[in-house]
Amino acid sequence: MVVDARDVGVELGGGRVFAGVGLRVDRGDIVAVVGENGAGKSTLLRCLAGLQPGVSGQVVVFARPPADEPGFWRDVALVGDEPAWYPGLTVREHLELMPAVHGAARMGVDAALETFGLAGQGDRAPLALSTGQRQRLLLAMALIRPSRLLLLDEPERGLDPAFRERLAASLCEYAEEGGTVVMATHDLQLAESTRARRLTLQTS
Amino acid sequence: MKTWTDRYCTAFGIAVALVLLAPALDEVLAGLTRQVDPSRMGAGVALAALAYAGYLVLARTFGPVAVSAADAAWLLLSPLPRRGVLRKTVGILLAVALLTGLALGVGLLSALGAPDPFMVRLLTAGVLGISATTGGMAVAVLAQASQSWDTWLLAMIIAVVVLAVLAAVLGGGPWRPLLSAVAGAPACVGSAVAVVAATATAVLVRLAWAALERVPARSILAASTRTGQVVTATVLLDPGTLTWIAEDEHWRRRRLRSRPLPRRLPAPLAPAWPDWRRAARRPGRSALLLASAALPALAARAGGGLTPVVLTVLAAGALITAAACTAGVRRDRNDPSLARLSGIGARPALAARALLPALAGGGWLALALTGLVATGALSAGPWWLFGLVAAPALAVGALRMARRGPVDHSLPPIPTPFGVMFTGPVLWALTGADLAALGCAPALMALGAQPPDLGSYLLAQALTGTGVAAVFLLRRRSH
Repeated sequence: MVVDARDVGVELGGGRVFAGVGLRVDRGDIVAVVGENGAGKSTLLRCLAGLQPGVSGQVVVFARPPADEPGFWRDVALVGDEPAWYPGLTVREHLELMPAVHGAARMGVDAALETFGLAGQGDRAPLALSTGQRQRLLLAMALIRPSRLLLLDEPERGLDPAFRERLAASLCEYAEEGGTVVMATHDLQLAESTRARRLTLQTS
Repeated sequence: MKTWTDRYCTAFGIAVALVLLAPALDEVLAGLTRQVDPSRMGAGVALAALAYAGYLVLARTFGPVAVSAADAAWLLLSPLPRRGVLRKTVGILLAVALLTGLALGVGLLSALGAPDPFMVRLLTAGVLGISATTGGMAVAVLAQASQSWDTWLLAMIIAVVVLAVLAAVLGGGPWRPLLSAVAGAPACVGSAVAVVAATATAVLVRLAWAALERVPARSILAASTRTGQVVTATVLLDPGTLTWIAEDEHWRRRRLRSRPLPRRLPAPLAPAWPDWRRAARRPGRSALLLASAALPALAARAGGGLTPVVLTVLAAGALITAAACTAGVRRDRNDPSLARLSGIGARPALAARALLPALAGGGWLALALTGLVATGALSAGPWWLFGLVAAPALAVGALRMARRGPVDHSLPPIPTPFGVMFTGPVLWALTGADLAALGCAPALMALGAQPPDLGSYLLAQALTGTGVAAVFLLRRRSH
């Protein structure tokens, strides 16, 4: 069991975001958390990443409570809602940084640039990229590094339809290698293409 | 539309400001009526020239022609006459040039001295200062409208910096008679130069006024965005944002070329590599930081010894140089998502990232101390070794500074005998400097006491610096 969440609830500012949510995810599973704006999809992802304060119920990831510490992040790759980058570093150098710090890579830097449609952008600064290209870079950084669980918050943000298909293929490949994916998404097509199990959250 | 009440409030505000500033102004002017030691003139002129170069660089960086966000959105792209839309901006630019020019004139007079007839020399210096800043601003406006004027402005900035360097280097030697001759020139010669300068400025202002119609809208829009961001950051009192504005603005325009990571780079050092790469990609900035190590020596030469101002320049310069090499930590503090993707602990990442600020801050301090010994402000001795042993404390001070959050405006203001102290901004400004000051205490004490034997102070500094750095790093658990 990779993720075992039972009767999870979150309250923010005196209001209930969600309550009684359960989720069990095994190795090789892809789960799509869907629901309206404000249903708590991103909040649930933050619960699984150990970043959400005030959580009730039980959340276990890799047989222990999730925690914001290096040991946890070596197994888990999180792609949040805002792309981030280091100033003065090119796209290629961002990608090279991941294998350098982890000591291993799932794919070569050139292959990652090709897969994520950034082949001609290797020498550009992330600031000079479009929003969609920056999202591709962040996804590439998460998928080039070794990990056992991918937490993706609306990975489709800013991506064109053609690339969403390629992303679905990459996620399926990741799951076939034994990885697990939990993503919050509004893109039902992406959920369908990845043959993801759906967890629908209702607005409280 | 301005009402009479608005005008009254403005005039009353100016009158109150004048009354409040009058005693300080009187004190400054009284200090000018003296003969300046010719050996110090070069350093003073160099500082004034550097200040003028900084003014020109700022004018070129921020536009200078910019409008408010509302005017940029509604008026700039309308068929209204451009000069009418920009009338308010022109007024602001003139006011800035006038005030900076007065300060520059007084600075120049303070560097050269005003033994006799004081009022004439003060007037001459004022006219020269205002002519220089207004003329410079006019050239900056022309540069916004035309590439060839921009080249002239750049040449002007380089020439002023070269003049500053020459004045600093040769002021005490070959240029000494020249500077003495300038300072001792008859007042009528100075007045004639001032008239020529004012006439040339009037021509430049006329050209700039005519060029306002031709300034491309895209240039004004870009300048307005930059200025708007800076104003927002200033109004919100979030100075940290200013560094990102400058940083993003720089990298957005740059063409980069990827370089492979060093093959044998150990994994714990990899998170620090972006900072080294970034420093190598900004050689101009690194050269400027290196050159600024001469400022304490210049200030000591101009001010006559190791004054509190010189010590402040020395301490601030070393810390600022170290802090200029901590972009990676600042980025991870603002947004820890990349640090989480890297999966490296805060402690090893910080230790790796302390190397560059230690090298930069310590190196800068060693150079600055060598300069102070060379100018005679410090007694002879291996003062440069303090750069080496204070480096760890400077590095962790800079890292603490990089990790501080935005200003906490919810903290209560404290009334003091000197006025109300706003706790949030003060605590924000002190974060980082406090640790560096604590870690560099033996070095600061040595600078104050100037002992004949530095051995015990160096040893104490080595222990304190390493101890403070070790405690800082061992206490870190999160990014």
